[in-house]
Amino acid sequence: MAGMAPEGSQFDAKHYDSKMQELLSTGETEEFFTSYDEVFESFDDMGLQENLLRGIYAYGFEKPSAIQQRGIVPFCKGLDVIQQAQSGTGKTATFCSGILQQLDYGLVECQALVLAPTRELAQQIEKVMRALGDYLGVKVHACVGGTSVREDQRILGSGVHVVVGTPGRVFDMLRRQSLRPDNIKMFVLDEADEMLSRGFKDQIYDIFQLLPAKIQVGVFSATMPPEALEITRKFMNKPVRILVKRDELTLEGIKQFYVNVDKEDWKLDTLCDLYETLAITQSVIFVNTRRKVDWLTDKMRSRDHTVSATHGDMDQNTRDIIMREFRSGSSRVLITTDLLARGIDVQQVSLVINYDLPTQPENYLHRIGRSGRFGRKGVAINFVTRDDERMLFDIQKFYNVLIEELPANVADLL
Amino acid sequence: MRPILMKGHERPLTFLRYNRDGDLLFSCAKDHTPTVWYADNGDRLGTYRGHNGAVWTCDVSRDSARLITGSADQTAKLWDVSTGKELFSFRFDAPARSVEFAIGDALAVVTTDNFMDHVPTVQVKRIAEDIDDQTEESALVITGIKGRINRAVWGPLNRTIITAGEDATVRIWDSETGQLLKESDKESGHQKTISSLSKSLDWSHFITGSLDKSAKLWDTRTLTLIKTYVTERPVNAVDISPTHDTVVLGGGQDAMNVTMTDRRAGKFEAKFYHKILQEEIGGVKGHFGPINALAFNPDGRSFSSGGEDGYVRLHHFDSDYFSIKM
Repeated sequence: MAGMAPEGSQFDAKHYDSKMQELLSTGETEEFFTSYDEVFESFDDMGLQENLLRGIYAYGFEKPSAIQQRGIVPFCKGLDVIQQAQSGTGKTATFCSGILQQLDYGLVECQALVLAPTRELAQQIEKVMRALGDYLGVKVHACVGGTSVREDQRILGSGVHVVVGTPGRVFDMLRRQSLRPDNIKMFVLDEADEMLSRGFKDQIYDIFQLLPAKIQVGVFSATMPPEALEITRKFMNKPVRILVKRDELTLEGIKQFYVNVDKEDWKLDTLCDLYETLAITQSVIFVNTRRKVDWLTDKMRSRDHTVSATHGDMDQNTRDIIMREFRSGSSRVLITTDLLARGIDVQQVSLVINYDLPTQPENYLHRIGRSGRFGRKGVAINFVTRDDERMLFDIQKFYNVLIEELPANVADLL
Repeated sequence: MRPILMKGHERPLTFLRYNRDGDLLFSCAKDHTPTVWYADNGDRLGTYRGHNGAVWTCDVSRDSARLITGSADQTAKLWDVSTGKELFSFRFDAPARSVEFAIGDALAVVTTDNFMDHVPTVQVKRIAEDIDDQTEESALVITGIKGRINRAVWGPLNRTIITAGEDATVRIWDSETGQLLKESDKESGHQKTISSLSKSLDWSHFITGSLDKSAKLWDTRTLTLIKTYVTERPVNAVDISPTHDTVVLGGGQDAMNVTMTDRRAGKFEAKFYHKILQEEIGGVKGHFGPINALAFNPDGRSFSSGGEDGYVRLHHFDSDYFSIKM
């Protein structure tokens, strides 16, 4: 946090816009991007191979979403791509389809590498990739920390077409030569701005150094700040870009509210008052630290409220069990950190509570994007202390969104 | 009426069907596993595992012994209802969409989607009493329909098959010869994709729901348009009460657009209309995604809805519903 800008400037819209404008409009940058304007309104028109189409329709897709209409074909043509789209609008299926279209199924060597910031997200991507690629006989492995190294080595040794992983484990496998990069032709960064941020950038760089020089790169995220976009120049070759303006990033389908709790100490009572409403459907409660997850979980349970919790310090087996229970609806209230702010897609989540406001601006968007997924409306509630009021104002201004005071009949919203 | 929320599907619902006795409710979703629930309290009884793709529809035999399911994995499967055992698998060249047993359960109609070079088809399969005698052979194959056939059902006495789908046209076919007998009028009929179709208890009339924001009631024999129910949202699902003069419509905007518009624009309520007077009686809200499936319990005392949100909601009617005067 030493390098963090003073409070209020994280959501400095003017700075964001001028930097984005500079990146997109300078002569040098103009040469950096490739234009690609075709839109395909049906999967059949995209020139995909038959068994991939079978997988897409078997998954339950019937028509491509906006990002899929524009994004699948340039990726299939081997072009580098930067693709930004709002939360829950079909980005994962876009890069999964692009990868599956280009694999050589006769060569059982790793040909595509997908990196994601969390183990849960990597496993989710692996599941989609496996489902879409089922008729193609794709072999895909989730290579994530917290699981057996020996098992990973055994699976990679027997041959896979695609590896989806978290950076730490993937780098370890590359270093041990259990994962050989010789045939890797595609490299995808999901939640790319997170992957290119201070926390992951060095690991990504180390991995990229080990990959073949000639490689197709795809970067995907709901948020693509200018800092992340600038870094992509170092390792991408004239990418096709699909970007969304800052003030169009939020989804109108996610209704946003605040509750003025005045003091930090009163958040817990407010949450307990809301608990009956929370339990009607699936809810995620975000706090900012792991210690606070444990604290809040203990407090809720001591008041006889049933909650689940997960954060990065928990062992992987426990994290997996909790996610499975939450996905199936066995447990309905999940307390977590920004570990689960990105990418996680659980069908019945319709309410997100920001018990603490996020410390990183992009994470506000990602957190509320856990509700309001493809085909579903959502609600987000922000707990605001006196100290938070300025930040709430900045969020509204930055994302061009109205955050109203929570009405009394909150149950009607769900 | 406080709804019972049935949790178990991890992806959007596609179809709901009660058995004839009304004590079991079968649900289909995109998560591959049709599920059966106790229809009174919503407890989950079991699941049917074996499909490798979204399951679009199902039907249950009159004696509640067999279930048939149509899936995007290009198969339709027969199951033993009580054990969950997969009995047989019909394989196709394209996703299977609509399935229905005929009266007597000796035949089933299955539709397949257009897929690459394959045109949509309506196929009649013989259903053997002894599963060892079951074959994949089709007794009849109907082609010539352009666009996906979202629903195909049997007409009275199994003599006809009624189809409806993407080309907005309702058709009646001879179920032995495959000859086209009747076609809905272009002017008064639906103007956009027909998403759903449901028959009255005595099969004398049926209702269709369409993306043109209306539902229409038709005479089964003459294909005469009887009534039209106008709403302000695309209709994904429809059903007719077995005991009262009401119909229910559900839908909402296209799933792809839901997150891009304000919450009030979703219109995810199930809407009840008076069947004869065509007037809206009331609505039931609760889903936070489009409603994809609706079904009345055969006893007329409850109904279920399934949504894009992955929930099945079971509603027992209040006494007010039974005393509505128009």
